[in-house]
Amino acid sequence: MSAPIIKIDGISKSFGTFKVLDGLSMQVMPREKLALIGPSGSGKTTILRILMTLERIDSGHIQIDGEQLYHMERNGQLLAADERHLARMRQKIGMVFQLFNLFPHKSVIDNVTLAPILTKGMPRAAAEKRAMELLDMVGMADKAKAMPAQLSGGQKQRVAIARALALQPRIMLFDEVTSALDPELVEEVLNVLWRLCSETDMTMLLVTHEMGFAHDFADRVLFFDRGKIVEEGKPDEIFRNPKQERTQSFLKKIIAAGHRV
Amino acid sequence: MTQWSGYFGLILQGALVTIELTLMGSVLALIMAFLAGLGRLSRFFAIRALATAYIEFFRGTSIFVQLFWAYFVLPFIGISLTPLQAGVLALGLNVGAYAAEVVRGAIQSIGREQYEACIAVNLGRWQAMRHVILPQALLVMLPTFGNNAIELLKATAVVSLISLTDLTFQAQVVRSQTGNTMVPFTTILIIYFALALIISWGVRSLERRMARGLDGVRV
Repeated sequence: MSAPIIKIDGISKSFGTFKVLDGLSMQVMPREKLALIGPSGSGKTTILRILMTLERIDSGHIQIDGEQLYHMERNGQLLAADERHLARMRQKIGMVFQLFNLFPHKSVIDNVTLAPILTKGMPRAAAEKRAMELLDMVGMADKAKAMPAQLSGGQKQRVAIARALALQPRIMLFDEVTSALDPELVEEVLNVLWRLCSETDMTMLLVTHEMGFAHDFADRVLFFDRGKIVEEGKPDEIFRNPKQERTQSFLKKIIAAGHRV
Repeated sequence: MTQWSGYFGLILQGALVTIELTLMGSVLALIMAFLAGLGRLSRFFAIRALATAYIEFFRGTSIFVQLFWAYFVLPFIGISLTPLQAGVLALGLNVGAYAAEVVRGAIQSIGREQYEACIAVNLGRWQAMRHVILPQALLVMLPTFGNNAIELLKATAVVSLISLTDLTFQAQVVRSQTGNTMVPFTTILIIYFALALIISWGVRSLERRMARGLDGVRV
């Protein structure tokens, strides 16, 4: 049994008086595909944002790949992480956002090559070659010279995935990556996720409302409510046979809203 | 009949001085705007305080007084400036203070999601500013920068008070030599207006060039 790549230990996070996460602990194994589901405000997106260092935690500890994320060890003492430590830790993690967050003033290929050139010192030619491979994988190679404003939502999201992959993270975080898309564009993005899932050995955390996809994609499903994990298990257990009443009522509402399970 | 051609020569010389002042003042204003505008967003209190003090002071005092101070008072502490140097300094610092707020506002208008995307691809603070935030913010700044440049052009007229031979100064020379008031002042009115138009056109075409591709129409 190998060591977990993500180890979350009793973290809490409040926004003002609203406690989003309350002493949450969880572990993720290398290569594991995890689906995080639950009602909005349940804290699932906040976990991804905390792992990407977009939000700080109020208390608790997180280890990525055996190293503290928000703390540094100096002479046996744990100190708050500085910007350099965070930058080093971020190399292991990539994130794709609900609203794509592409750089609107840069072409598709420049969106993908910017960070590898700047943060890894990659020569432009090598970065572009790698970017074209990634764009080819997400089916966007023919749009390499286009500007983001010329793309559909699904195309933007596929570029955003290529941009995150360009840094070769070991962990990928997908935050409701299809929620902002028109229904007919959801499929093309899910297909890309599906390829990543089967062809790479990245650890993947997926926050989603696409229950059908979560079922097929995930090794393990976590159901969140009010900042805690209410229930977790294999997709079949959670979706076909949920034990907790809150999980049952959530899934019932989702099905009523027309989502396939 | 007055020999107008010679007097027009004088006024054209004045126009050159005005253009020179406007260009040099704008360069200094631009530098000050970015220094102070970025300074206001600094993580460090001392830098924020310094930038704020500069902006408030130069916005809060008259350009006349600033110019007189640069030209007449600085010599008392051992700094003697030529009229041109004093003019560029006063104009650049004054307009730079206004433009600094434009820089700050434009940077803050860029959405949080752009900063978050920068963190997610692990850009450093300066890399994010230089490659992602500023290029987008620049487009927001441009129209107001155009206004600032026109303000600066018009403010150059005050340097005639420290005997710099700009447009306004030369018009007064022509007026006192010819006794004619209407012709010289109408002429410089038109020249100022033409110069302002050139600035607007320049800024607008720059804007169009920079916005290319952002609207999703052009390739």
